[in-house]
Amino acid sequence: MTLARTPLIALGVLAALLLAGLPLVASGYVLSLAIGMLNFTILATAWAIFCGRTHYISLASAAFFGIGAYAAAMMAETVPWPLVLIAATLAGFAVALVVGLSTLRLSGVYFVIFTFGLTELIRQLVTWYEVNVAGTVGRYIFLGMAQSTIYWQLLALAVAVLAAGWLIGRSRLGLAARVIGADEVVARHSGIDATRTKVLLFAFSSAIMTLAGAIMAPRWTYIDPAIAFNPMISFQVVIMALLGGAGALFGPLLGAVPLVLLFEVLQANFPNAYSILLGAVFILIVYGLPRGVIGLIEDWRPASQKAATVLLPVPASHDANVLTVADLRKSFGGLNAVDGVSFEVRPGEIIGLVGPNGSGKTTVLNLISGALGSDAGHIAYMGRAIAGSTPETIARLGVARTFQLVRVLPSMSVIENVIPGFAFRAHPVTGNTALAEAQVLLARVGLDRRAAIPAADLTYIDQKRLELARALALEPKLLLLDEWLAGLNPTELEEGIDLIQSLRDDGLSIIMVEHVMDAIHALCDRCVVMNAGRVIARGTPRLALAEPEVVRAYLGEDIDA
Amino acid sequence: MLLLDILISGLVLGGMYALISMGLTLQYGVARIMNLAYGEFLVGAAFLAFWLYTAPGISPLAGLVLAVPLAFLANWAIYRWLLTPLVRRAKSRGQLEVDSILATFGLLFIVQGIALVIFGGQYYSYGYLSVPVTVLGTTLALNRLLAFVFAALIGVGLYIALTRTRTGTAIRAIAVNPTAASLVAIDVRTASAFAFALGGALVAVGGVLVSMFLTFNASMGVVFTMKALIVVIVGGVGNVMGALVVGLALGVIETAVTRLVDPGLTLAVTYALFMIVLLVRPQGLFGSALR
Repeated sequence: MTLARTPLIALGVLAALLLAGLPLVASGYVLSLAIGMLNFTILATAWAIFCGRTHYISLASAAFFGIGAYAAAMMAETVPWPLVLIAATLAGFAVALVVGLSTLRLSGVYFVIFTFGLTELIRQLVTWYEVNVAGTVGRYIFLGMAQSTIYWQLLALAVAVLAAGWLIGRSRLGLAARVIGADEVVARHSGIDATRTKVLLFAFSSAIMTLAGAIMAPRWTYIDPAIAFNPMISFQVVIMALLGGAGALFGPLLGAVPLVLLFEVLQANFPNAYSILLGAVFILIVYGLPRGVIGLIEDWRPASQKAATVLLPVPASHDANVLTVADLRKSFGGLNAVDGVSFEVRPGEIIGLVGPNGSGKTTVLNLISGALGSDAGHIAYMGRAIAGSTPETIARLGVARTFQLVRVLPSMSVIENVIPGFAFRAHPVTGNTALAEAQVLLARVGLDRRAAIPAADLTYIDQKRLELARALALEPKLLLLDEWLAGLNPTELEEGIDLIQSLRDDGLSIIMVEHVMDAIHALCDRCVVMNAGRVIARGTPRLALAEPEVVRAYLGEDIDA
Repeated sequence: MLLLDILISGLVLGGMYALISMGLTLQYGVARIMNLAYGEFLVGAAFLAFWLYTAPGISPLAGLVLAVPLAFLANWAIYRWLLTPLVRRAKSRGQLEVDSILATFGLLFIVQGIALVIFGGQYYSYGYLSVPVTVLGTTLALNRLLAFVFAALIGVGLYIALTRTRTGTAIRAIAVNPTAASLVAIDVRTASAFAFALGGALVAVGGVLVSMFLTFNASMGVVFTMKALIVVIVGGVGNVMGALVVGLALGVIETAVTRLVDPGLTLAVTYALFMIVLLVRPQGLFGSALR
């Protein structure tokens, strides 16, 4: 990934030019093998553009390839070829949008199942259409297109797909997809519109597969739905991408070329046992090379680090409440987790949200940050109603949070954990600026010397620090801390309190759910005490925590009452 | 009496779906293995029944005595040797799902390939008890009715076993939370292997019963896997009762679409209903909302 750019591009251009000359020298057999390799390189690379980053497994490649091939077969006689390609691509894109919008909001496994059946579904629909409406069972394609013409079209598409994959890898879209692949909840709370990202990438990748199908269509002279929608293709595409390594741009290429050759050998020598051998190869890859060939040869070079001394931008707005919560309600079945809670947060204020376990504190944070939808009540942030908004919208407005159970992106490096906040906030920064600012934030939480290691290798405490840095990268005006100080030793606690204090001095408003009473007394301007979903006391920490009802809630009935 | 006709034929077909789906819900809901090769074992059992019936002349119902233990052992071995390494390697439930999908996807092609080598691609069927009987004015083949009765007996038996026995309770506990189950001294690994093998045995029963009245071929497994997956998810993952009810409903819906609309559109309608349920109640009709 960090290879020098110019020689790489030059090498790519040279390779493409050399490959373009192949039909002039190669025999028909070699050319047809090369067509197979290009076709599967395109399909596997397109597959990895979506699946390699988000870690969603799509088994629908055959469906889109088939849509392309069949659409081309239907139009080839009557429409000029370039229009055929455009129309087929658009059809694939449209189907992918519909499938993506309806399934990608769901968890990954539902998506797999849906795509698993999609090929069969579309095949049945097309068959039904052909039999009942068109009155045929298949189509003849009499284009007489030369093999070399197909080859050149595929080569152009392969170059375009690799270029697109490279561009996406460097774009905010690619970063968003990787964060989604690591932890979708964190992605949303970092301001990433997860649904939009997934649908966009899925539709793009599917449109490419459709186009490949359309280009390949003239290789058959006769196409029926069973030929076009061959489920084996989905299977082959997945193995190739996995063998090469779906996470890297050239991984699928490394998988497609040897496997097309292997399949050719198997098909020629063991036509009967083809499917068995294919399955065995697949299982070998899943068990033996979970990260693909690329995973074997990849060596991670940490990004260059440099510390800068830039201060956090200070949000300045001292006119109204930062947050107003009014009569907020949320129930789970019969349990009223939040039952008519109201409070407000003024600029630069630290509010302690305290109460016994199960009193609804974290639910309040989840309602404010959009992780949960409220049943009733109002939440206004900087005078704007945010109840019912998505987590990513709220994050972009400047409400950042940490999680009670730490959620870092374990497979990504410490600094990469912080970058998404910069890239997706209301005023995004990217590239070297983001790296420099991320380094400053890491220094602030004491992690600047660990920027390059994977977040999974941090200790629990350091992961908490990282979460705070990630939240701060959003440039928030309101920070929600969910037991951020829990589990720290006395020295760390003192540092933590100083850090939160300094954030307030920068002008941040903070709501902290906390059980550490020393911290509450030291930091909070006011406390909101909850019990069983209701607010039972409020005021300065000293007064609020001394209320008889608060003491009862924490310690039980007073004996001499 | 078209409606009654549809209802009765639909329930008889749905009984098969319910039986097959109960097996899958054990494999996916309890052992946490998303088994894409599931339907291949149904086809395998169907071929076994066919072979027993045509060669030595053993009736399919007697063939169950051979098919069920065989499938149980085969599935136990698959879990033990093929899938346990994945269970050990997985850091999270999501990763196990992905890994098991990929591994069983490979298994699908191996099993299907073996069936193709032995039996080829053509369709098979045999005539066992295809005598018409009349139930409430609807004419049914006796073999269909018998298959339904068997499916109902086994389904009810399984439900009772899961809710009334110690092993059944352990299995249901694992379905809810494997970590918590291990904390109350349930041997999760052994019980998961048992649930997976039991699921495999159930699908073998389904295969033998289906072979009595349906024509089948070596590449039909995927369709059954799909339908079972849809039933399991719509019914709520790990919920045996949900699988039973939704399986029966799917049979009725498919029969209605076949009779009233077009046989070519059954899968499309099934899919449409699947989507609607997923969008409205992602946890399934009978699943409890988590969060």
